[in-house]
Amino acid sequence: MSGALPMLAIKDLAGGYGNVQILNGATLNVARGQIVALLGGNGTGKSTLLKAASGLIKPWGGSITFDGSRIDGMRPDAIVRRGLVQVTQGKETFPGMTVEENLLLGAYVVKDRAKRTTALERVYDYFPILRDKRHQPSGGLSGGQLQMVCIGRGLMSSPSMIMLDEPSAALAPQIVMGIFQTIHRIARDGMTVLMVEQNVRMALLLASYGYVIKDGLIHIEGPSEQLIDDDNVRLSYLGGTVANREAKL
Amino acid sequence: MLDYIIDLVIIGVSIGMVYGLVALGISLIYSGLDIVHFAHGEIYMFGAFIGLTLFQKLALPYVPTLILAIILTGLLGMFIERVFYRRLTSGGGGYTVAGMAMVVSGFGMSILLQNIAFLIWGPKALPFPVPHGMPIEFGDLALPMSYVWIIGTALVLMVVLNLVLKKTMIGLAMRAVAYNKDIAYLSGINVPLMISLTFGVACALGAAAGVLIGPINYVQVQMGVGILVKAFAAAVVGGFGSLPGAVLGGVLVGVVESLGAGFISGTYKDVYAFVLLIIVLMVRPAGLLGVSIKMKA
Repeated sequence: MSGALPMLAIKDLAGGYGNVQILNGATLNVARGQIVALLGGNGTGKSTLLKAASGLIKPWGGSITFDGSRIDGMRPDAIVRRGLVQVTQGKETFPGMTVEENLLLGAYVVKDRAKRTTALERVYDYFPILRDKRHQPSGGLSGGQLQMVCIGRGLMSSPSMIMLDEPSAALAPQIVMGIFQTIHRIARDGMTVLMVEQNVRMALLLASYGYVIKDGLIHIEGPSEQLIDDDNVRLSYLGGTVANREAKL
Repeated sequence: MLDYIIDLVIIGVSIGMVYGLVALGISLIYSGLDIVHFAHGEIYMFGAFIGLTLFQKLALPYVPTLILAIILTGLLGMFIERVFYRRLTSGGGGYTVAGMAMVVSGFGMSILLQNIAFLIWGPKALPFPVPHGMPIEFGDLALPMSYVWIIGTALVLMVVLNLVLKKTMIGLAMRAVAYNKDIAYLSGINVPLMISLTFGVACALGAAAGVLIGPINYVQVQMGVGILVKAFAAAVVGGFGSLPGAVLGGVLVGVVESLGAGFISGTYKDVYAFVLLIIVLMVRPAGLLGVSIKMKA
C-alpha cells in the first residue's frame, strides 16, 4: 500500500465478545476507490473486524482511522454519519416494512428529502427489481432480493466506503454473479469497498488487493493476482486448482 | 333494557379506552425494548397528579392540562429510562440481556414513584373536578361528557401514534429499533435516543389515560396498582406486543367488566376481566391479534 493516505486504516486491532478474544492485533489498509477482499475461514475474525470498524463492538486495543480521523469507540450511527457503512451478514431487513421503507431507513442520517429521493433512485438504478417491489413488505422477498435491499440500504446515506459481510452467502451462483457485477459497478462509480468473502476466487477476481486473516491476525496479504497464485492461499481456500485469472467480471 | 345495555357498553368502552392507552404504552415498551415495564401504573398515576396540579394550581383549561401533562410525563419517562433503567444495560447486550434485572427495577421504580407521589400529594384521594358540561342526550340515553372526552381523546391519540409510526422517519426509526437494534444502528439511527423516545411516548400515553380517568375517579397514590393489572389483562387478551391488540384488549376488558358489573354483580367487578383473560388464553394463547411482527402500527 503506497502513496496517499488510506481511506480506512486498521492498526493492531484487538477485540472480541465477552471474555473471548477474537482479534489479536490485525492490521489492514484500504486505499480510496479500491475493492479490498478480506478472506479467511470460519471464526477467524472477519466479521468481528468489520463490526469493530462499524462500531457495533468496541475494540479492546489498536486503532481504526477512517478518512484521516480516529473512529474506534464511536457509536455506529456516528460512524455512518462520517461515511462508513457496514452491510451485515445474514440479509437482515425490517420484515414488516416495505422495500422502500427499508431503503429510506438507510438514509436516516440524510435530513434533506430531495437527497433521499436521489439516493433512492440510484439504488433502484443498481437494482431495478427493487423498484418493482418497492411497495411490498421485505419479508416476502427472495434471498437475492433481500441482499439487494441490504446493500441498497447501505448505499442510501451515500457513504464514501461500504463494508460488505459475505454478500454471496447462501445465494445461488447466478444470483451471486449479478450481485458481484453490481458491486463492481458501485466501486467503479467511486465507492471504496471492503468485502469479507468465503467465495475466495470470485472475491479475488473482483478485488485489487486481498488480506487473509487467521486466528485474528493478518496471515497473508498482497495484490489479488499474487494471492490467486499463492500456494498457501490456493491450498487453503481455492481447492487446489488454479483460478482462471483471465476471467473478467 | 336495551338502553341499559347501551349505557353499560358506552361506559365499558370509555373505561376500556383508558385501559387500552395504558396497555398501548406497555406493549410499545415491550415490542421496542423487549422488557415488561412494571412501573407503568405509577406513570399513569403521576400523569393524573401532574394533570390535577396543572388544572388546579395553574388553573389551566382541560385541553392544555391534558397536553402539558402528556408532555411532562413523557419527559419524566425519558428521564427515568435514561438515568435509571439504562444503567442496567452497561454490561452490554442492551435491554434484552438486562431482562430479569429490568423486571425487578420496574417494581422498585413503582414503589419509589408511589412514595414520591405520597410525599408531594399526600395520601388522600383527590377529586379532579372538570366542568365538562351537560350530558348529551339521545332519547332516553344520557351520555356524560366525560365519557365522550375519553373516547374522543383516546381515538385522536391512537390515530396520531399510528400516523407517526407509519409516516414519519422518526416513527420508522422507532419501529426499526424494535425489529433489530444492530441493523438500526448501522442505518445511522441513534438507537439509545430512539429507545428513550419509545419510552417517553409510552409514558405519555399512560399520562393521557390518567388525566382522562381523573374526572370519573378520584386521583390517588394507589391508583396505578389496579390499572397495571387491568392493562396487562388487556395487552394479553389483545396479543402481547401488538399495538392494535392492546387497544382491542382494553376495550374488551372494559366492556366485559361493565356488563358483568351491570348484570351479575358489581362486587366482583375485578373478576370479569380475568375470566375473559383465561378464556382468551385457552382459545387463543397468543391473544386475539397475537403478533410475530413487532411494533406493527
